[in-house]
Amino acid sequence: MGDPLARETEVFYPAFSELTINRLLLEKVLGYRAGGTPEVISRLIDEILPEVPSRTSVQCGFSILPIGAVSVSRETFTCDGVQFTTGPIIAKQLRASTTLALFVATIGSQVEQWARDLIDSGDAVKGYIADAAASEAVEQAADWLEKKVTERVRDRGWKLTNRYSPGYCDWSVAEQHKLFSLLPERFCGVELTPSSLMLPIKSVSGVIGLGPEVKRDPTVCSICDMKDCFRRQEEPAAT
Amino acid sequence: MATDNLLESLKRCIERGKVNCKSPHPPDMKGQDGADELTRKALDTGIPPQDVLSNALVLGMQHVGERFRNKEIFVPDVLMSAKAMSAAMEHLKPFFKSDALKHRGTIVMGTVLGDLHDIGKKIVSMVIEGAGWEVVDLGTDVSPEKFLTAVDQHPGCVIGLSALLTTTMINMETTIRHVKGKHPGIKIIVGGAPVTQEFANKIGADGYSPDPQGAVEFLNTRCLQN
Repeated sequence: MGDPLARETEVFYPAFSELTINRLLLEKVLGYRAGGTPEVISRLIDEILPEVPSRTSVQCGFSILPIGAVSVSRETFTCDGVQFTTGPIIAKQLRASTTLALFVATIGSQVEQWARDLIDSGDAVKGYIADAAASEAVEQAADWLEKKVTERVRDRGWKLTNRYSPGYCDWSVAEQHKLFSLLPERFCGVELTPSSLMLPIKSVSGVIGLGPEVKRDPTVCSICDMKDCFRRQEEPAAT
Repeated sequence: MATDNLLESLKRCIERGKVNCKSPHPPDMKGQDGADELTRKALDTGIPPQDVLSNALVLGMQHVGERFRNKEIFVPDVLMSAKAMSAAMEHLKPFFKSDALKHRGTIVMGTVLGDLHDIGKKIVSMVIEGAGWEVVDLGTDVSPEKFLTAVDQHPGCVIGLSALLTTTMINMETTIRHVKGKHPGIKIIVGGAPVTQEFANKIGADGYSPDPQGAVEFLNTRCLQN
């Protein structure tokens, strides 16, 4: 169950088979509506997917901060004395948190390199699909990790907010350095460049609010009024 | 096949991503000649290479770019077309070498210093090549000095800067200042997910586009030298 007054840090190495990447999902990620994917693209996805698992090494981990080490204000939150300026959109979502979980997830650098090699060798379509599969895999690794955090805090009666990453919703990506300063060195094998780029590139990091009163939005972009944001996800169509 | 029909068929191969006779895509064109064979036939028939390029290949890719912008097709479709275009261009290479055929101009592309994202830039480069421009790709993490060296090597070129991070897109401004300090007349276009028109204006870029076709339109309207 863990001690909420101590920092709890754990790293996982889930098998690729615990992720659920399939052709239909990837077709949707690539932009196609159900039934609208060109046959050649579906076939290429079928060729690529079996090759992805052997080229990934999924690692993910969280660090739940002790109660009392975290405070959230209107536009910022502070962990162990390190202040993050997220802007009001994310801070509002974290406000009810008892504490926060910092997290990192990665699938390693092999798929990304494979995708680049395919493109450089003239097979741009296959390379692009491999890259899209890698992007989807790392998001799913973060989803998998969220379930582990949920299991860890369930007995305390805590819930989770959505996960938020530097670079989203007005939170500067430059604050990656602050985030990583609160984690063990090369946590999950991920490191930062001076420009805040994570290496391996197919990695995600961020923060999740934890507590009995926190809320989770079905679509993370519904909380944000930055309508022209390039990361904006479409709202699901009303049925 | 009459000249017009041949060029129209070639254009259609580009639009549909039909590379060659052997390629099974698209299924309704299975067994038919692709961009590879039709380009050869067009040249062998005596159609001037410039007509092949301008009246079939470039028009085909232009249509592809427009459909992508309208979200009628997606990146893999654009890449299929780019592959067909590439197969056709193999036959035109000797004409470029002998100066019988000229590119519309040269653009030096690169992802700015500190940023390693590559794929978006490559997709834009393929569409630009399909519009008849020569692309010199400097890769990723390109310093202002490297851009300047490339400009010196390719007089009259345009520069295309790419970035995918808010922390690295500020290096576009440094690059623009560095290059324009020596070549004030050079045209520079910027793009990448976090880049906006407002940001492009602020840093002194000459152009911005959220999609590849916009980059082609900028080149063809603002950067042609003759």
